[in-house]
Amino acid sequence: MTDMSNIDGEDDYCISVSNLTKKYGKNSPYAVDDITFNVKYGTVFGFLGPNGAGKTTTVKILTTLLNPTSGSVHIFGRQLLKSQSEIKKRIGVVSQNPSFETNLTVEKALDLYGVLWGIKDKQIRKNKINEILNTFDLESIKSVKNDELSIGQRRRVQVAREFVHELDLLFLDEPTVGLDPSARRLLLDHIKSQVKSGLTVFFTTHIMEEAEYLCDQIAIIDKGKIIAFDTPSGLKQKYGKGNKTIELTFNDVPDELFINHLRKIVNMRRSDKDANEVTSLVGFIGVHTVTITANNVEQIISEVLQLVYKNGLQLENISINPPSLEEVFLAVINKNDNSKDNKVNL
Amino acid sequence: MSLINNTLLLVYRNFVAAVDRTFLIWMVAFPVVYIFIVGYAYSTLIGDRGISVGSITVTYTSFLTSGVIGFNAMNGSSAVAGGIVWNDKRNGMLQQLLVMQFSKVQYIVGNLITIILVGLISAALIMIIGFPTMYRNVNITLWSVPYITYALAMGSVFFGSFTIILSTKIKSSEAHSVISNGLFLFFTFVSSAFYPAQGLPTPLAIAFYLNPLTYIVDISRAGIFSQITTFTNVQVLILGVLAVAVFVIATRSMVNMKV
Repeated sequence: MTDMSNIDGEDDYCISVSNLTKKYGKNSPYAVDDITFNVKYGTVFGFLGPNGAGKTTTVKILTTLLNPTSGSVHIFGRQLLKSQSEIKKRIGVVSQNPSFETNLTVEKALDLYGVLWGIKDKQIRKNKINEILNTFDLESIKSVKNDELSIGQRRRVQVAREFVHELDLLFLDEPTVGLDPSARRLLLDHIKSQVKSGLTVFFTTHIMEEAEYLCDQIAIIDKGKIIAFDTPSGLKQKYGKGNKTIELTFNDVPDELFINHLRKIVNMRRSDKDANEVTSLVGFIGVHTVTITANNVEQIISEVLQLVYKNGLQLENISINPPSLEEVFLAVINKNDNSKDNKVNL
Repeated sequence: MSLINNTLLLVYRNFVAAVDRTFLIWMVAFPVVYIFIVGYAYSTLIGDRGISVGSITVTYTSFLTSGVIGFNAMNGSSAVAGGIVWNDKRNGMLQQLLVMQFSKVQYIVGNLITIILVGLISAALIMIIGFPTMYRNVNITLWSVPYITYALAMGSVFFGSFTIILSTKIKSSEAHSVISNGLFLFFTFVSSAFYPAQGLPTPLAIAFYLNPLTYIVDISRAGIFSQITTFTNVQVLILGVLAVAVFVIATRSMVNMKV
C-alpha cells in the first residue's frame, strides 16, 4: 500500500463526499439525494440499504463509472473528476455483477490482470498470482476456464484478482453473493487482515452479519438519502432503544391460541413510543421457535413463562439476545417509510 | 504516453482474451478448404479459360485465393470484434476495464487497432498459405502494396465495426447468431470473392456492388495482380467512406453501452 503521508493533497479522509446527487433523467427522481459522508483511512465503511436505495449508483459515481448531477467527491484528498486516472490506479473494484474473461483459465486471467495493472516482470506476476491462488483457495481450479467455474468460484476469482495490484482503497459491492459460508468467511477474514495493513474498504451488502463482522462504520441509505450513520454498536444503541429479543424454542409447535395470548401480554406491556422501533413484536424462526422483541423483556419474561407452563408447553431452549443489526436496519428503514424527511448529514 | 500505453495494453488484452487456438484453427482451416478444395474442384469445371482481372487473365485458383484473402480479413476482424464487444458487454468486463486505469476512448481505439491487426494478419496468413496456388499470376509492386493494405485495413474496420454495432444492439445470443449468420452469408456469397461480377444478371451485379466485401476484394485483387484502374480508385473512395461511416456509428454504440 502507498505511503499516504508522501502524497500531495492527502487529507484526513480517504473518501470525502459532499452534497452528492444523481438523477438519471430530467424528470426522474433522485437516485442519490444530497448525501454527505467521510470515510477514514484504514477502516471498513459499510453502505447498507434496501434494493434500489442508491447504493450501487453511489459506488458507480465513486468509481468514475457515472458522473454525479451535483456535489463533490474527494478520494485520497483529490477531486475525483479532476484526478480520475491517478485515483483509479490506487483503487480496486468488485462490482455487484460478475465480470470475467470467458476463454481464459483462472491463472491466465490473473496474469492478464497483472499485465493490465502494469506489472511487467513475469516472475513478479507469477509470485503474486501464486500468493493469491493460495490465499483465496484457488489452487485447485487454476487451470479451469472461467466459463466452466461455478458462480461462487467465479466470484472468488473476481475478488481475488483485485489483490494482484497494490491498492489503497477497495470497493466491494455485495461481494459475497453466491459464496458458500467458508468462502465467505475466508474472504471477510482476508479483507480484515488487509484493513489492518492499511487498506480502506467501501462495502455494500444485504447481509447484516457481514456488516457487523467487518464494518467500523455503517451508513444506511434509503430512497437516495442517508438516514442513519454510526458504528454497528452505536446504531444498535441509537435505534435498538434497549430492545432485546426473547427466543423460545418448544418441543412441539405452539398453537394459535397460545400465540394470541402471547401477543396480548406483549401489547399490554408495550409503550407507544416503542411502536416504530421494532418491526414485529412477536415473530417466528421456523415453526418451533417464537421470538418476542421488546424493550422491557425483564418485565414480561415472568408472564411469558407463566403462560408457557399454563399451556403445558415444553421449552427446549430459552435465550435473551440484544437486537441484531438486521432488526436495527429494519427499524430504521420502517421509521424512514413513516417520516418524510429524515436525512442525516455526516 | 499513458494514453498510448493503455491503448496498447488493451490491444494485448484483446489478443489474449479473444484469440485462442480454436479461433486460429478456424481462421486458417475455413479458407484453406475454399482455396484447395473448392478452388481445384471449380477449376476442373471451368477448364483452361481462366478469369479476367483487368487486362489479364488468371487461373480460377489465383482468382479465388486473391478473393479469399479479402474474405478472411472480413471473417477475422468481424469474429474478433464481435467476440470482444459481445463478451465484454455480457460478462461485465467493459465495466471492469473502465474502473481500472482505462477510458472509453482507449477501449474504442484499442478495439479499432485490434480489428485492423486481426484483419491484416488473417489476410497475410491466407496470402502465405495460398501463394502456391497463384504465384504464376501474382505481380505485387511497390505501387500496389498500399492498395492491398488499404483495402484489407479499411475492410477490417468496416466489418469489425459492423459486428460491433450488431453486438451492442442485439440483446439475445440467439438473435445475434441468426442475424449475423444471415448477413454474413450475404456478404460472403453476394460478392466478387468467389466469382467475377462481370457477366452477371444486372440485379445480382447491383447487389454485388452494394456489398463492401466486393470493394475489398476488387481493390486487393487489383493490387495483387497490378491491375489498378480509375475504377479501382473510385472503389478506394467508396470503401473509405463506408468504413469511416460505419466506424462512427460503432463508436457511438460503444460510447452508449451501459455500464
